[in-house]
Amino acid sequence: MDLENQSRVKALAEEYGPGHLMVVLGGAEAEASGLAAETVTAGDPAYAGPLTGVQLGLRVYHILEPEVKAAIDPQVYEEQVGLMEMVLDVDAISAEVSTIRQQYTRY
Amino acid sequence: MFKGAKVIVLGDRDGVPAPAIETCLVAAGAQVIFASTECFV
Amino acid sequence: MTFATLRGAAYVLVHTPDLVAYGSVPSFERARATDFGQNFARSLRTYDEALTYPPHQAFIGNLNPGELAALPRPHHRQAVPGGRFGPRGEIMPQDEFFLWLKAVDVFSLVELEETFLAGCRERFAAHPLVSDTELARLGDGSPLSSIEERVKQGAAPLFHRGRLVGCVRPAHEHDHTLAAGVMLENLVAKASGVIVLKHLVKLTATPASSLDYLIETSEEASGDENQRGGGGFGKAIGEAAGCTRATAVDLRSFCAGPAHGLVNGAALVKAGVFGRVAIVAGGALAKLGLNARSHVQKGMPILEDVLGGFAVLVAGDDGVSPILRTDTVGRHRIGSGSSPEAVMRALVTEPLASRGLTPVDVQAYSVEMQDPDLTETAGAGDIPRANYRVIAALAVKDGHIDRSALNDFVTSRGYPGFAPTQGHIPSGVPLLGHFRDQMLDGKLQRAMVIGKGSLFLGRITSLFDGVSVILEANPGRPAAGALPASHAVTRLALVAHDHEAGATEVERGARLARQRHGLDVHILRPEDVPASITGSDPETRLQRWLEQLLSSGEVQGAVASHYNFPLGVATVGRIVPPGTGETCLLAATTGGSAADRVAALARNAVYGHILALALGNPRPVVGFLNLDGARPALRLVQKLAAAGYPIQLATSARADGGQLLRGNDLVAPPCDVLVADTLTGNLLVKILATFSSGGARETHGWGYGPGIGPGWPHLVNIISRASAAPVIAAALEFAAELARAGFVATMAGEFRKLEDLGWDALLATAQSPPALTASEPPRAPDGELTAELAGIDALELEAATAALHAAGIPTRSAMGCTGPTILVRPSDLERGQDILRAAGYA
Repeated sequence: MDLENQSRVKALAEEYGPGHLMVVLGGAEAEASGLAAETVTAGDPAYAGPLTGVQLGLRVYHILEPEVKAAIDPQVYEEQVGLMEMVLDVDAISAEVSTIRQQYTRY
Repeated sequence: MFKGAKVIVLGDRDGVPAPAIETCLVAAGAQVIFASTECFV
Repeated sequence: MTFATLRGAAYVLVHTPDLVAYGSVPSFERARATDFGQNFARSLRTYDEALTYPPHQAFIGNLNPGELAALPRPHHRQAVPGGRFGPRGEIMPQDEFFLWLKAVDVFSLVELEETFLAGCRERFAAHPLVSDTELARLGDGSPLSSIEERVKQGAAPLFHRGRLVGCVRPAHEHDHTLAAGVMLENLVAKASGVIVLKHLVKLTATPASSLDYLIETSEEASGDENQRGGGGFGKAIGEAAGCTRATAVDLRSFCAGPAHGLVNGAALVKAGVFGRVAIVAGGALAKLGLNARSHVQKGMPILEDVLGGFAVLVAGDDGVSPILRTDTVGRHRIGSGSSPEAVMRALVTEPLASRGLTPVDVQAYSVEMQDPDLTETAGAGDIPRANYRVIAALAVKDGHIDRSALNDFVTSRGYPGFAPTQGHIPSGVPLLGHFRDQMLDGKLQRAMVIGKGSLFLGRITSLFDGVSVILEANPGRPAAGALPASHAVTRLALVAHDHEAGATEVERGARLARQRHGLDVHILRPEDVPASITGSDPETRLQRWLEQLLSSGEVQGAVASHYNFPLGVATVGRIVPPGTGETCLLAATTGGSAADRVAALARNAVYGHILALALGNPRPVVGFLNLDGARPALRLVQKLAAAGYPIQLATSARADGGQLLRGNDLVAPPCDVLVADTLTGNLLVKILATFSSGGARETHGWGYGPGIGPGWPHLVNIISRASAAPVIAAALEFAAELARAGFVATMAGEFRKLEDLGWDALLATAQSPPALTASEPPRAPDGELTAELAGIDALELEAATAALHAAGIPTRSAMGCTGPTILVRPSDLERGQDILRAAGYA
């Protein structure tokens, strides 16, 4: 994940408390989305950014996951994201991100 | 699920960009406190 | 409606493994003590590995990009033959590129180590695009110790295979925008831009000096701390590539820059502001090794080790090249929204719908053509494929195709990615060259070029950007089944069997044209005329054969040492006046535009103007040489201009000005077209062509130029029986340039405009005047005739004198310094001037 974004996430977690935050991802692909989810839960797996070794354990979702979709006004969701359901691999992305979430989220 | 939640949005230029996610979440009652779009190219 | 056309596209890669360390990601990663640093050097590719990498060969045109799909992935495990040069450009090695950095450095910032420089100089000099100026700028190099010292003081080191071979110094002591790293970045973008622009000039056979406008669309910023992105890349690149007549601009919109450049260039050509526009960009140093972290982590070679460059030429409608439909431009509006659907609707479906089309009506799309080998491991997926899937999904959503046809849409209308992740380089432009060839071959009718840019990375907006334009096969190109009118090769006939130096000289001329200009030249000989063509003598039969080949489009033009043009057709030549060294047209040089001298001169002016237009000069300036009949001819052309024909007339460079040009002006013309009678023009061409050969052989120039006249339907350039091989080759190249420029269509169009303006009637009013005869001319002693009536044309001298006599004014004729004058008594001067002015003689 972008290093600047990591430091922003870290600062916000300190400011609001990790239990009060959620992260929603929009990654194009399962592996990259999984790595981003891991970064905000278990720490930067690339050992590159400010979240290296920092286990925030934030609640993290991908916008394409069915439970996220269910929580959003269908018309808005269709307008903003609908097309990408056809384009991206929803199943693989959902499986990857939810696995990481179940494994590392502390809240 | 999102009502009143403080959310960080990390979009992807070649997936779903942050503003599109933000629009969805705001409609669901979330408070987006940070949104950024990554670009790998 | 006519549109601007796509005349060619050039592509260059520069393999720079030792510069990868300067990339934003590698420089960050190497600064940290990780295993990235240890594995970095061993993960870099050799030049040969970069050369045989299939996407690179597709980029320079040695491999059809569509064929990449048939090669097993990952492509870095495959090797294809092809070599350094391709039909659209080259893959340059690092050491030669360092010499280019030096050759384009006008601020003495680049220093190369002397033994390194000596070792590469010969190879650099042998490059087909290197000029003497560039060679001279290399200098002798510096000792290693001085480079080491510079690096200690803050210069950016240049390594080749790990050895220090040079450096780039900071351009300012304190200003961080001119720091060594920034200067290296900017010189890299400049040098790669220069190389690719030179390739474009060569492959489109368009002289660099004929370009009018350069639009530079890279993502770098040049300036100092007071204007960090001031600009200047366009002019810097144009200057180094010899585009002396062009001006330039830097245009920015992140990766969407090239697509914006294409739309802007096409619009400026269509509007008539500029004749020939090149869109150009060099490579991005910072983006080298952009995904190197994951490449190294996965044990792959670092694939982002090449700089990219592209250049595209856009010019007026030649009846052949693909047209840029500037009436179908997609744009991401500020209010379009940023959802993927909103973006793609703005770029794809909205412009198509404006013409009643759907995504299915476009046979091929050029999107963001990043090579997936580079991005997939980094988590960005296959970017072109994702783009194609979005377009296909829109077509599904709108009911144009069935959901089950989504994948078919992607494979049939898309291409595998093959461009390096150099930001603007992969964005829309990589397929332009391929699309052009496909359209010229009749295999593709309509394509869309899409550029997108991540404006939000600059942190001053959250907006995205994008623009798209439609490319269509030229409706004027010959129907399927006919010979292709123009591909890479222009086909020409050469008729010169009566050459004074014999057939060998003619064959040498044809060979030179083939070798130097890549032309397809066919020599027509009297003995080869098909039996079906009849005629009283071999000469007539040969000419009929040629006309048949021209009419059928079998050849696009001809060069002939003898051709019987009808009266009304005269040739307009191109010369290099010694005072300027730049080209100038000379009308006329052979043939005859009219029987009457004044009408002929006036016509010659218009013919020269037409040729200048056809050569891409949108506002040619025409100047009459001070010859008998020039004054009344000038007046005719002034009347024509007053009637609405946009012809501009020159003013002599001499102190006293005037609209007739003197000998001085001939040597350094203040205009684009010089006008003379045919015999004078012919003499001038011969003087310039034989000046350094002793007189017998014409060794300089392009011959006598193309025949021009109302109703004349062909492109036939004339040479002399004394034209040497280089002139024959140059005449062929001139004809090819005119064929590509759509000369015949321009000529016909201009004569239509002239007809509409009543040009013929205008000419008829001003035939050379008949001499009036006074019964007994009034007389006065010569000593009293001291006042001078000047500005009278020699042809009208007699008539003017008669008019004065008829009014009772005694005269004596004399020769003034710019032409004949009539001397009268000072007391008659004013009345005489009035009479001559009223009669139109002064």
